[in-house]
Amino acid sequence: MTQAAVLARRRERLPFSHDERRAWLFLAPVATTLLVVAVFPIVYSLYISFWSIKLTRPHRQPFVGLDNYAQLLADPEFWHAVGRTTSFTVMAVTAICVIGLAVALLLNETFPGRKALQALLLVPWAIPYVANGLMWKWIYDSSYGALNGLLFQLDFIDKYMVWLGDANKTLPLIANAFVWKEVPLAALLLLVTLKSIPADLYAAARVDGAGALQRFLHVTLPALRPGFMLVIIYETMTAIRHFDLFFILTEGGPGDASHVLSWRIYVETFRNLSFGTGAAMSYILAIVTFALAYGVIRALGRNVR
Amino acid sequence: MASIRFDKVGKRYANGFVAIENLDLEIRDREFLVLLGPSGCGKSTTLNMIAGLEEVTSGKLCFGDQLVNDIPPDRRDVAMVFQSYALYPHKTVYENIAFGLRMRRTPQAEVDARVRSAAQKLAITHLLDRRPSQLSGGQRQRVALGRAMVRRPAVFLMDEPLSNLDAALRISMRAEIKQLHEEMQTTFVYVTHDQAEALTLADRIVVMNDGAIEQIGTPHDIYEKPATIFVASFLGAPPINTLDGEIGGASGRPVFRCGDVALALPPAIAAPTGSKATLGLRAEDVTLDPKAQDDVAIDGVVNSILPIGSDQFIGMKVAGREFFFRLAKDQACAIGDRVRLAALTNRLHVFDAASGRSLAGG
Repeated sequence: MTQAAVLARRRERLPFSHDERRAWLFLAPVATTLLVVAVFPIVYSLYISFWSIKLTRPHRQPFVGLDNYAQLLADPEFWHAVGRTTSFTVMAVTAICVIGLAVALLLNETFPGRKALQALLLVPWAIPYVANGLMWKWIYDSSYGALNGLLFQLDFIDKYMVWLGDANKTLPLIANAFVWKEVPLAALLLLVTLKSIPADLYAAARVDGAGALQRFLHVTLPALRPGFMLVIIYETMTAIRHFDLFFILTEGGPGDASHVLSWRIYVETFRNLSFGTGAAMSYILAIVTFALAYGVIRALGRNVR
Repeated sequence: MASIRFDKVGKRYANGFVAIENLDLEIRDREFLVLLGPSGCGKSTTLNMIAGLEEVTSGKLCFGDQLVNDIPPDRRDVAMVFQSYALYPHKTVYENIAFGLRMRRTPQAEVDARVRSAAQKLAITHLLDRRPSQLSGGQRQRVALGRAMVRRPAVFLMDEPLSNLDAALRISMRAEIKQLHEEMQTTFVYVTHDQAEALTLADRIVVMNDGAIEQIGTPHDIYEKPATIFVASFLGAPPINTLDGEIGGASGRPVFRCGDVALALPPAIAAPTGSKATLGLRAEDVTLDPKAQDDVAIDGVVNSILPIGSDQFIGMKVAGREFFFRLAKDQACAIGDRVRLAALTNRLHVFDAASGRSLAGG
């Protein structure tokens, strides 16, 4: 047998072709990184969610199966957190959609200063959440906050308010800070969708006798469906898992008024050092996020091709 | 009454670009008028002004006796078919066709009757529940026609409606549009850059160039008696052969001269001897004739032969320019042959070299 034939034979025995092996070689650094920082934590947290792991008693960590989950689902505090997370998300996503649409419609028109406004719009988006949180903390401040100053000068209030100390106002105020940061992305996504609507459709609708409102209802809104789908899915997933603003603005307070799921996961894991329960809660949140995303895609995607 | 009159109409955009200047045009009731010209000549702008989609910036646009400059599209009783079809993507075919009627609050029973009758006429009844994305180009075109038909408009506007279809479908749709015009007995204004479409469909053709009208006339007039060199070059495939030269005179009859080409012109050519002129000779206006008289003869060496089935095009250099002629396929010749062609002198076109206007008298 010639040497070439031997080599060819050896090559055949290898599981991958030459090109595939080379591809794996190039993919290896990224794949390894992903395995370490993404896949491993996901799998490991699922694993520890079946154990009772408390760092307060590091030597006794029994396997408990689905007990962590069962206990959570039976815990009224957990369900209160689910309720708060839901109302925060609904408030935030609704406002993001409405304001985002308004901004997108505005920026879709031609007027002097549009470019400058468009650039300005990106500022909130570019600010990190922590900086955004600190900014709103100042704005909401009870002694020298801009909100108090503004409302007081306009005579809407007769004394400075402790805004974040009012359990009824906490969630809407945090949602407001969240919306302020998220609207630019939503507006941009909707604007791109608006720009993709052919001008001929509006011309056809005008010739067909549709007024401005009817053109909006029959041409613009249906065409925006895919844009809305993206915005709703993305913003719901972001809002439902949001943590930073709760941490900076209220630390879950006053009382338990802003105890949303992500806050409870943090408290359970890093303050109570109960990693098993924290991991279980994280998994429930992840499953809900997936289910929601799937549901929205199904609902909105029905008429989209 | 659906005659349309343009009276010194102009269209200037906000950025100062003038699309149309001083347009005078009368479109007759129930006529099939085709606006023909290269892209950017202002034909679509003209159509959009009729539709009310573009504002008239100067002059008067009248439907019958009514000034419509400031009347919005929905109150003009026009329907329009777009090049892109512009079907509402999220509505079914049925709802697309019904939309214009619904906007006018037509009773449901009548909407249904009209939609179904139009669908039947266009053979798309089986598609009524589909969405535009599920249709082929030809089917979408039919839906767009249906959407315009059900409105029973006084004026039917079409903006290059066939240019997105494949060649075979385009020809069959042409016939259908022509038939539609006959059945609907209404004014059609049709925009195209396709001369074949214009020649087959039109009662009259308006040839436009650079925002102005070059010529208005029947397809026959436009082809046979082009008023300008632009019109002559725009119509005909291959394009008309042109040659720059000057008018000479021998024994009272005008002669066109350029290099060794000297062709006797029809007596009606009105131009002083010595004036610069451009000759236009259509590919089909010659015969292969070795015994042709010198004053009708074109001599040359065949350098290409392009058979097109029924006929053949032959290419040869004439006075330094590449000319194409159409000969019957039985008129045998080969590349390299020196041939003598006889021009049909009464079909020669002569244009003033400076203005490009035809020198044919009358």
